[in-house]
Amino acid sequence: MGDSDNKRFVLVVDDELNLRKAMQYILEHQGYRVDSASDGNEALVKIKQNPPDLVLLDLQAPTCSGYDVCQSVRADQALNRVKILIFSALGKDIAVEKAMALGADGYVLKPFCTADLIDTVGKYCGQGEIQNA
Amino acid sequence: MLDKYSLRVRFALFFALIAVAVPVVITVALTLAAQRMDDNPVSQLVLFGGLASFALIGIVAWVAQLFDTHVARPIVTVSRDLQTLMHANPEHTVDTDEARYLGVLGPTVREASETMKRLRSDIGKEVEAATKSLDEERVRLETVLRDLNEGVIVCDLDHRVLLYNRRALQALAGVGDLGLGREIFSVVNRTPFRNTLERLSNRLSSGRYKNHPDHLMAPLVFATRLGKTILQGKMSLIIDEAEESPQGYVLTFSDATEQISKLATRDKLLREALEGFCGPVASIRATADLLVQSPDMPVEVRRGFEAALSQDAADLTDRIVKMTDDYRSIKTSLWPMSDVNSANVLSCLSQRYRDHPVLRCDVSGEPCWMHCDSSAIIELMDHLIRGVLGYTGAQTFTLQAAMTGNRRYLEIVWKGTPIPASEIDSWLSEEIESGVGAMTGYDVLDHHRSDAWSEPVDETHARLRLPMPEPDTEHSQHVSGALPIRLEFYDFGLLQRQEAVGDLGARRLRDLTYVVFDTETTGLEPSNGDEMISIAGVRIVNGRVLTGEYFDRLIDPGRPVPARSTQVHGISNEMVAGQPPVHEVLPRFRDYVGDSILVAHNAAFDLRFIELKEKETGVRFDNPVLDTVLLSAIVHDHTDQHTLDAVAERFNIEIPEEKRHTALGDSIATALVFVKMIDLLEANGIHTLAEAQEASEKLVQIRRRQAAY
Repeated sequence: MGDSDNKRFVLVVDDELNLRKAMQYILEHQGYRVDSASDGNEALVKIKQNPPDLVLLDLQAPTCSGYDVCQSVRADQALNRVKILIFSALGKDIAVEKAMALGADGYVLKPFCTADLIDTVGKYCGQGEIQNA
Repeated sequence: MLDKYSLRVRFALFFALIAVAVPVVITVALTLAAQRMDDNPVSQLVLFGGLASFALIGIVAWVAQLFDTHVARPIVTVSRDLQTLMHANPEHTVDTDEARYLGVLGPTVREASETMKRLRSDIGKEVEAATKSLDEERVRLETVLRDLNEGVIVCDLDHRVLLYNRRALQALAGVGDLGLGREIFSVVNRTPFRNTLERLSNRLSSGRYKNHPDHLMAPLVFATRLGKTILQGKMSLIIDEAEESPQGYVLTFSDATEQISKLATRDKLLREALEGFCGPVASIRATADLLVQSPDMPVEVRRGFEAALSQDAADLTDRIVKMTDDYRSIKTSLWPMSDVNSANVLSCLSQRYRDHPVLRCDVSGEPCWMHCDSSAIIELMDHLIRGVLGYTGAQTFTLQAAMTGNRRYLEIVWKGTPIPASEIDSWLSEEIESGVGAMTGYDVLDHHRSDAWSEPVDETHARLRLPMPEPDTEHSQHVSGALPIRLEFYDFGLLQRQEAVGDLGARRLRDLTYVVFDTETTGLEPSNGDEMISIAGVRIVNGRVLTGEYFDRLIDPGRPVPARSTQVHGISNEMVAGQPPVHEVLPRFRDYVGDSILVAHNAAFDLRFIELKEKETGVRFDNPVLDTVLLSAIVHDHTDQHTLDAVAERFNIEIPEEKRHTALGDSIATALVFVKMIDLLEANGIHTLAEAQEASEKLVQIRRRQAAY
């Protein structure tokens, strides 16, 4: 579980600052706790320090590609509960297939609308607020 | 003077002369005797002289008939048998029973024929051995031509086709009838050919070709005759040994229609993208600027602009989605690629490591077809295999293809763990041998819109996967198709053919181009409503029956096919239902025939059916015609058996039962008979078309006269 404050934890990895900020705002607004990273190396450090429930990962992340992040997370048994959703540009079927082969759980196609993003994140890691039984 | 008569007629004339001479001599003798006698025994002399004359004429006629049976006819039969043996059928047996009254002639002829057969067999074996390697080379050439991905056509300077390959035939299918000895312009537009040939000829005559980068080759783009297909290729001049004069040209080409269409689609997409994105982007920018620069805008107005901004962004997204779909429908890139079978690519790759000190590659699994630049892919896979060897130390690899849904993959499998994506990324960023200059692995993958990654196969094995584009067309696992594997694809003898001779009649029979044809009909009376239901033809060029260049069509006769005629040719009402009518088929057959000589067995019958359709179809055949029934009667005048079956049997030609009485089967049989007849006609002094027509005409006249009596 991501955090003790009953919120699911999402890590957004994208080199576009505006998009990162927008996603952070949208997801926080939906009750998720959100952190962000601008490249693959930073993402890996953050994932290992504080494993999130879900990583939203841009394949084109600099310094360490999204594929490398997928492989590294899947190679670490301690991170086997971390879900990975990749962002892929439209028409890049092979890129999606490659990412799924290397450990991604699902994908969101760019450009996306807010509702689609919220739906997909909810589908893979549940609602932002954890409902206690 | 008597040369024009046959041997038997000449013998008959000798005996007729004797028969005439006997009464004349007796009459003269008795008249002289009567003049010298004292009394007048004229009436007695006339009586006995007349009786003696009639008796003698009778005896002469009887002897003449015996002579014909025992001498003349056996001589003719033995002569014909010998001719058939020498020129047409080496297995033919000389009938010496007929010659039993000719003393030792019969056994001598038999002995001579057996010796000849033996000698022929010996020579045949020697020739067979000597030409074996030539045949092997021919087969190799045919194989190469057959499997070439480009169309190849070789023409002489008159643009007549000397050679073509399967791909050329496929590329031009449906346009017209590409055929040996025919002008290429029956299938393609002539202007680019004439211009390019002229350019290359000028380059040769001026000597410029020696320093020209393309030597005697020039690119050309041309369209098929109906303009449906655009082809691009190269024309290379064939020159004589002295390098002075052109002999013909080689044309290699591929279908550029799809490529040009893809280019046009891409161009359209790019234009639409530029034009289509301008509007929403301009609107988004203006609205965003307005919102940023107007912080004190009333809330209601601000919400309106925010909604507009959101709508513009959604529109832009929709446009991008549509454009991406359109782009994906242009399946392949413009990089030259072709459909290949994975087995060929992987076998070729594995061969590389046969002599490698440590590397071993086996090809495994079910092969599949894919669309790729096989050469670049082989180089890329080689590069990756060496990368895996260096990184993991694995020395044994399995190369295989895989299909999942519509996706096709090439895979390199080894015992060990997967390779990190970053490592593969570094290999793919390196330059590899591509045959077209420096290219990285990513360049090759981009051309294929592909990528490469490593993943586990099971607990002990890992693989490198390369997705490959689907093939352009569906292929079966075995190379086959509507076309026979071995076609009569070439005839360089045409190159030695004389320049176009105006007067066909003077040309040798063996040098002419023929279409041997046959029809099947609803009955035997065209003037009483019987119709054609099938027409077929096969070409003969330079004495070779081109069974691959046949014409074969069923025709809807527009009337029922009687059951009794279905029994003969096997064509039923169901088979002709929905087939094209005669006014569609005959013009196609006219195109197929071109200016060839028409040949048929009992040609008058088939031509009558065609002639009656002249008004309806607008098709007229004014080509010269030869009839194999008449030609058979000329070369085999010792018999009156001239049915196609009888003639074919004499020439040792087998007609498969299922082909007999089909238009195509009978056309081919007639063509094979006709080719053998040409030798026999020459042995009878008939060498040219005019001579064959003259001899046929003479026979027709004789038959007409016989019919009149």
